[in-house]
Amino acid sequence: MFVKILIGKLMGKISAIFNIGSGSTWPGHIALKTDKKFIEKIIKKNPHLKIIIVAGTNGKTTTTALLSHVLNKLGYKVFYNYEGANLLNGIASILIKKTNLFGKINYDYGVFEVDEFSFPQIIDKISPDYVFLLNLFRDQLDRYGEVNTIGYRWFQSFKKLKKETIFIVNGDDPFLFFNAEKLKNKKIYFGVTKKSMKLKELTHDIDFNYCPNCQKILNYQAIAYSHLGDFYCSCGFKRSSDIYDFANEKINYPVKGLYNIYNTNAVLSFLKEVLKIDKFNQLLKDFQPVFGRQEKIFYKNRIFFLLLSKNPAGFNQSLRIIKKILKNKKGNILIILNNRIPDGTDVSWIWDVDFQMIRKNVKNLFVSGDRVYDMALRFKYEDINTKNFVNFKEAIEKIIKSTKNDEIIYVLATYSAMLEVRKFLVGKKFI
Amino acid sequence: MKINIGWLYPDLMNTYGDRGNIIALSYRIKKRGIKCRIIKISLKDDPNLILQSDILFMGGAQDTQQEIVNKDLIENKAIFLKRKIEEYTPGIYVCGAYQFLGKYYKTALGKIIKGLGIFDLYTESPGIDAKRLIGDLIVESKILNKKLVGFENHTGRTYLGKNVNPFSYVLKGFGNNGQDKTEGMIYKNSIGTYMHGPILPKNPEVADWIISKALEIKYKKTVKLKKLNDDLENKARDAVFSINKF
Repeated sequence: MFVKILIGKLMGKISAIFNIGSGSTWPGHIALKTDKKFIEKIIKKNPHLKIIIVAGTNGKTTTTALLSHVLNKLGYKVFYNYEGANLLNGIASILIKKTNLFGKINYDYGVFEVDEFSFPQIIDKISPDYVFLLNLFRDQLDRYGEVNTIGYRWFQSFKKLKKETIFIVNGDDPFLFFNAEKLKNKKIYFGVTKKSMKLKELTHDIDFNYCPNCQKILNYQAIAYSHLGDFYCSCGFKRSSDIYDFANEKINYPVKGLYNIYNTNAVLSFLKEVLKIDKFNQLLKDFQPVFGRQEKIFYKNRIFFLLLSKNPAGFNQSLRIIKKILKNKKGNILIILNNRIPDGTDVSWIWDVDFQMIRKNVKNLFVSGDRVYDMALRFKYEDINTKNFVNFKEAIEKIIKSTKNDEIIYVLATYSAMLEVRKFLVGKKFI
Repeated sequence: MKINIGWLYPDLMNTYGDRGNIIALSYRIKKRGIKCRIIKISLKDDPNLILQSDILFMGGAQDTQQEIVNKDLIENKAIFLKRKIEEYTPGIYVCGAYQFLGKYYKTALGKIIKGLGIFDLYTESPGIDAKRLIGDLIVESKILNKKLVGFENHTGRTYLGKNVNPFSYVLKGFGNNGQDKTEGMIYKNSIGTYMHGPILPKNPEVADWIISKALEIKYKKTVKLKKLNDDLENKARDAVFSINKF
């Protein structure tokens, strides 16, 4: 054990010094190669360490950061990973970094966001105390496969968990709610108030609009977004009445958008039910958006507002934020579409996004990325004109020329595109 | 002139961006000064709506949605759909929809799921460890004399019978079964295909072929479609060619 941790720590240092690309994950890779039970052993040596896992298609990084933020403010010692390290290797690496040479971790909480596909494998090793299930939407179908299959694999893996593990589940998601109900563990459901459910009909980005119990089409009293809402079926299956929505609490939500009300409510329900704390606003205060998620970057006196947008449900939420901010005004928008491995190589999904909703808000629409013409074509078929740039740096140059000081540019980018444009604007790499 | 597009199960067969086909068809119909109405036909809807359609479309989905749809098709809509297809109503059926209209689908565990039997073809999964056929698809269509692009993502291998013709021939990718180099099928004026992408926006020749056939069948005369500027369509298609070194 001692030797493995030492080697791991040294490798972490070496990769940091020489700035080797994915340096943050290879100490873990080597540790797991030499000892498959490495993670289990570290966890066992630290029974005082509470482990929280955050899973879901959208909102993992923000929720993980917010959880860590509030736990820190409460005086706990917390460490967490970030999405560049949300596979098994990444988690092993962060454990190596946080243990001393004798395998002891002097922290109260470890908060880990996990990749949807690796989740069952991770849960098997890490035996979490709390599991957050945020949502489940189609994403990178060419890499992850069907969203149902992802979900079934999750719930299969939960059967092996200790009975003390507590689940914090999105109660507005019919699939997650139905399957969580069958678990013997304690569940805490979060959602949003019906007043925030403003959609009149289901959009095209839905994946679970049928009853998970009897397979009839689900009915909705109210719809929040995608298939999240107040659902019911003639067979008797319906949304729980026991859902934390914090409607009467006057919460100052730290990040914009309905999807971030969900993420925040997930954190608050944990505070309320597990830690018995309810001074929420004080704890949420000063939380800063995570990189690329509603992050504002100042570049040449312009404000670039970055919104990571990588699947239909998430993209539609980003468009709603733009629409809400701009109201009747028009703005500058840059969309960058890549189809590299971390983005998914299939770009078909852009046709499931409802671009029509920002039609009246477009002053200048710039599109770029490896698949710039796919995006340009998508807009052509909505009768919205685009300015097309194969190279995103040229697009930014053009944006600077066609905007004034202090103007906001909304940047919607897929994962690899977001990292690239961020690096360019900030002038340094994050991961 | 007016074209009605019957969109089968838009709320269930909706997973792979295939809605783009509806968007492309209606755009290209309207740009020709022809009226276009989209009729959504799902579980609770009157199957007679199928008979009002001049073009039919159904996309792909996940297994659970496909099971729900297959049951409804067989119980409530099969005879209407069969009649329209036999009467030469043009249509495009992608992935799961394509498989449904064949004779059967054999699942990974060997269970036979009956199809509508309208197209002379069958589909089989080679087993639970079978490789999913995923990636860019480049094909050559003999009817259109054109190279087309799409993206495939399927486990089922489809084999064509004598009464249908291949829609196209594979230049890159797997196509129907990864063996015989065929992709999709054509029967009367119906196209079945594994091409997402979606197929019609990036291959406007196929969209226009469907529109021409719809006008021909409905108005019993050949209508020459006004040429549209397909610059972006060609550039989007070229991107797929160049990634695959074509």
